[in-house]
Amino acid sequence: MSEHKYTGPIAGLFQKLADKMGTDVYFVNFLILMFFTIFEVAAVYVTGLSVNTVWAILIGVGIIKVYGIAGFFMHLKGDPIIYTRTAVFPLLFAALMLWGIGLSNPASIMDLPGWCTPDWDYSYVTN
Amino acid sequence: MSGHGLHDVDDEIWMKTVIIGAVIIGIGAVAFTIFTVGLGSVMHGLWDDTIEPYEIAHADYVDAKDEFHLAEDRWVNDGSQNTGVFAEDYHQTEKSLEEAEEKYETAEHNKEQAHLSYLTWTVAGKTIMVMTFIYGAFYIISGFFNSIRPEDNGHEGGYGDDHHGSASPILMATGLLFFMMGFPGLVDTAKSMLGIDIAANYGGFAISSIGSVILIIGIGNWWREDLVGAKEQIALGKPFGGQHIRKAGMWVFLISEVMVFATFFSAYLRMRTGWCTQWAVDSGRCTTVDTITASDLLRHDIMTLLPGAVNTFALIISSYTIVLALKTSKNVDWKPSETKWVRKLLPTRQKAVRNYLIATVLLGSLFIVLKIIEWSHLVAEGFDIGTQAGSIFFIATGAHGLHVFIGLLVMLFMIFKADTVGYDEKNGQGIEYFGLYWHFVDLAWVAIFPAFYLY
Repeated sequence: MSEHKYTGPIAGLFQKLADKMGTDVYFVNFLILMFFTIFEVAAVYVTGLSVNTVWAILIGVGIIKVYGIAGFFMHLKGDPIIYTRTAVFPLLFAALMLWGIGLSNPASIMDLPGWCTPDWDYSYVTN
Repeated sequence: MSGHGLHDVDDEIWMKTVIIGAVIIGIGAVAFTIFTVGLGSVMHGLWDDTIEPYEIAHADYVDAKDEFHLAEDRWVNDGSQNTGVFAEDYHQTEKSLEEAEEKYETAEHNKEQAHLSYLTWTVAGKTIMVMTFIYGAFYIISGFFNSIRPEDNGHEGGYGDDHHGSASPILMATGLLFFMMGFPGLVDTAKSMLGIDIAANYGGFAISSIGSVILIIGIGNWWREDLVGAKEQIALGKPFGGQHIRKAGMWVFLISEVMVFATFFSAYLRMRTGWCTQWAVDSGRCTTVDTITASDLLRHDIMTLLPGAVNTFALIISSYTIVLALKTSKNVDWKPSETKWVRKLLPTRQKAVRNYLIATVLLGSLFIVLKIIEWSHLVAEGFDIGTQAGSIFFIATGAHGLHVFIGLLVMLFMIFKADTVGYDEKNGQGIEYFGLYWHFVDLAWVAIFPAFYLY
């Protein structure tokens, strides 16, 4: 874990904040993660927000937290690009699973026994 | 003394783990006595105190309801709907019924709250005791096994410095095999011992116990090899050429972990999109609720969401403490803080690393204790693994909890290593590689918490 300076639009912002506070990027990242977790929990209790707005907030906060943890704590921002590629590789399959299984026909979970025991015509066996 | 690693380690050092293990089990016994026996008994007494008022309130409510229905019948049959003694009687009993219902609901709420308070303390004590027993068993069995092994004086086996062959994976796999083979018997026997009406299966219990011991010895052997240390191996071929093999291996392992959790999420999404939950009703996607999810029971009250919310913060803080442990181990210019209490907590670089790791273990242990408490509350409210919503919730959060617990067992060794040979700029990457796993566990929670607790 080297103490190199982070650059780029978002990581650079973390670095600027750290420099301003006289601390390191990890501490800034920790504070940001704590803040957004409070924000995430609070969003559920704020009255007047539609469920879709809450859902959007949860996803948005989730993306920020994943960026903070994977980018800085897991050091993907400072490590060779091969580690980022390795980390992204399973996400393609995970996205496929979420799309192909998770968001496919909702009723099919109840129809699963039907899939396993299709209405097969066995007459050709006896004939 | 182990001769051909990075560190010279006397086998006697391992006896220290036996003492630490005994102390940890002692702490667990004290926690059990305080929480389960002490506070649990007090809370059970308070719970008992609410049962009689509840039964009285329930009986009063039933009586009031009967009287109301009688008055209603009399009034309707009387024919003079708005006047007369029957109408007055009807309104009087209606008022009495409302009062009785309110008292009944209050008494029921008090009884439920007292029951949940009792569960909180008693489950906390039992969980801490079981966890510390497992921690202690790891330290004692592994330490004792390593302390009685013959001294390794270097290259007796003809291995060169580059040799990294290890029997640990085979030992651990064999132990796990026996553990899983006997696991149903272990569960039946444990239930039988807890007084549940199930026949004990001592054969399975014995096989599972032997498996546990072999597994712990395998892990102990791994501990020994890591404590002595070895030269870090560098990958030669593409795509990780020039990188540490252990780090690349950890990332490849994390790929498989992403897929494991992706299966839980895709299954959950598939189920969830087919349910008519309160959330779906609020979104206008359906009209009648047909499924109660864990989040329906947890997210509406800050007190029920508290364990999950505290756990989220605990994991984030623990992610930061492990970063601090790594940063401290790599920092050759590390100096104690000028603040007195910080200097007391972190007096030297070696102790600072150890104490950051201890903080991480404590936060991880808090996570497990709160999770089990939360589960006990959900089960008490009728949300168990027998329902479709319960099954995916307990499997997904349970798999995550198991990952946390395995991480804690690995960290036990890291604390011992930090306390004995220490972590520095030469071997600190061990913390980095473990940190990758620990941060991944945090990442998985980043997805699990909103999906299962808030949504």
